[in-house]
Amino acid sequence: MGSEDIRFIVLSATMLFAVITGFIIYFVVLYRNRQLKNKKEQEKREATFRQELLKTQLEIQEQTLENISKEIHDNITQVLSFVKLSLGTIGNTLEPDKKAKVNESRELISQSINDLRDLSKSLSFEHIAALGLAKTIEIEAERINKSGLLKVYFLTDGQVFSIGEQQELVLFRILQEALNNSLKHSQAKHFKISLQYHHDLLNLSLEDDGVGFEPELLNSKSGSGLRNMENRAALIGGKATIESAPGEGCKIRITLNSFKQLYTDGGPHPNSFS
Amino acid sequence: MSYHEIIYFIILLIPLITGVVRYKKLTIPFKILTFSVIVALFWEILSEIFALRYNNNAFISHLQGVSGYIFYSIVFFYLFKSSLTKKAVLISVILVIIFSIINALFIQPYDQVFPTNVYLITNAFGVIFSLLIFKQMLQYPLEVNIIKQSIFWFNTAILLFSATMFLNMGFTNYYAKHKWGMDIIFYIWFCSDCLLNILISISLLTDNKENSIQYG
Repeated sequence: MGSEDIRFIVLSATMLFAVITGFIIYFVVLYRNRQLKNKKEQEKREATFRQELLKTQLEIQEQTLENISKEIHDNITQVLSFVKLSLGTIGNTLEPDKKAKVNESRELISQSINDLRDLSKSLSFEHIAALGLAKTIEIEAERINKSGLLKVYFLTDGQVFSIGEQQELVLFRILQEALNNSLKHSQAKHFKISLQYHHDLLNLSLEDDGVGFEPELLNSKSGSGLRNMENRAALIGGKATIESAPGEGCKIRITLNSFKQLYTDGGPHPNSFS
Repeated sequence: MSYHEIIYFIILLIPLITGVVRYKKLTIPFKILTFSVIVALFWEILSEIFALRYNNNAFISHLQGVSGYIFYSIVFFYLFKSSLTKKAVLISVILVIIFSIINALFIQPYDQVFPTNVYLITNAFGVIFSLLIFKQMLQYPLEVNIIKQSIFWFNTAILLFSATMFLNMGFTNYYAKHKWGMDIIFYIWFCSDCLLNILISISLLTDNKENSIQYG
């Protein structure tokens, strides 16, 4: 066998080896790209699933709140009105000292009826849709102020415009959740609501002067309510930022671009989330 | 024993030790792969004995060629997801066995000639199966880094070895026909064998039945 033959064999083997090595490198790159593509698709699927889940939760919640609202309005307040009327009839037949006590009870019932009507309105989607976000927040602030549990300040800035019923409902529910958190956990004395309307932007700022919490709480299991606010904001194409520290209260800021909303109005009922 | 043979035996021990030490952690196909390494070592030792005692180990080469293919085919059988490809692997085993018998009896006598024809066919199947596995990997990519996937290393080993050996066997047939010296061919063969065993050792090192990659 001559040196030419050896050279030919070595060259052939080297070329084959180089081709296969090149193929394997190409394969690794291709595989990596597929992995990244699959990962992105999976993340997208998971995000869609989370969004669908959240939408369903919101729909169920709205339905439940609507039912409670109707029950309060159509049943409980009606019964209380009947009781008030009955007490009025009985009171007319009683002696003056007893009549005074009955009237006192009637006043308390009247106050309860008014409170329940306010509560019913704040729970009802139709009421929020009819009044708009700014007016609903104003009524809610008055309702809380009347209770004396918290001093709520409400400020608006800019020309008020509608961002859509569903979006306004979601923002209002976030506000209710924040108010509820302040009442239950923060020991806050004051709660500031600021609604700022710009050309295509809407900012909702919620601030309390309570005990605050560690920022790590947001990532823990007990911070699911706060994360839920972020998810709800994301659902309507907004972005929520929550800032807090022990002793420094809590500040929630939601920014919504009215031209970038994910879900547009589809109808008068919350089922139109889907 | 020559210097090359000693190195080869040492390198053959690496996957064997890796496979035996990690045996409990291995998935089914890689357990079979460990067996194949043990059997390969057995054939190599027997081949040396035959070469020393009878100056002829062609018979062992005939058996080694078929048994090696059967083991690798079983590994592929477990690695493939498609039932059609699994069937094709089983059919190829039957075809190789039949061809080996015909080859040993009529074409390349089992007691005289090294069965290059059998190796040509088995290596061609090796290239095809490894390419199919690569295709399957692209169809079902895992989240795990490819470097940590035993299937990738095993497949790379088979593709490199089978393609090189296919070329080598072609040259062997041609050179044997012209009765030319085959030192360079044996040297390439030796290098391919070493590379195969090193890559198989890596595949046995990376395989782990406790992680998400499960075959079989």
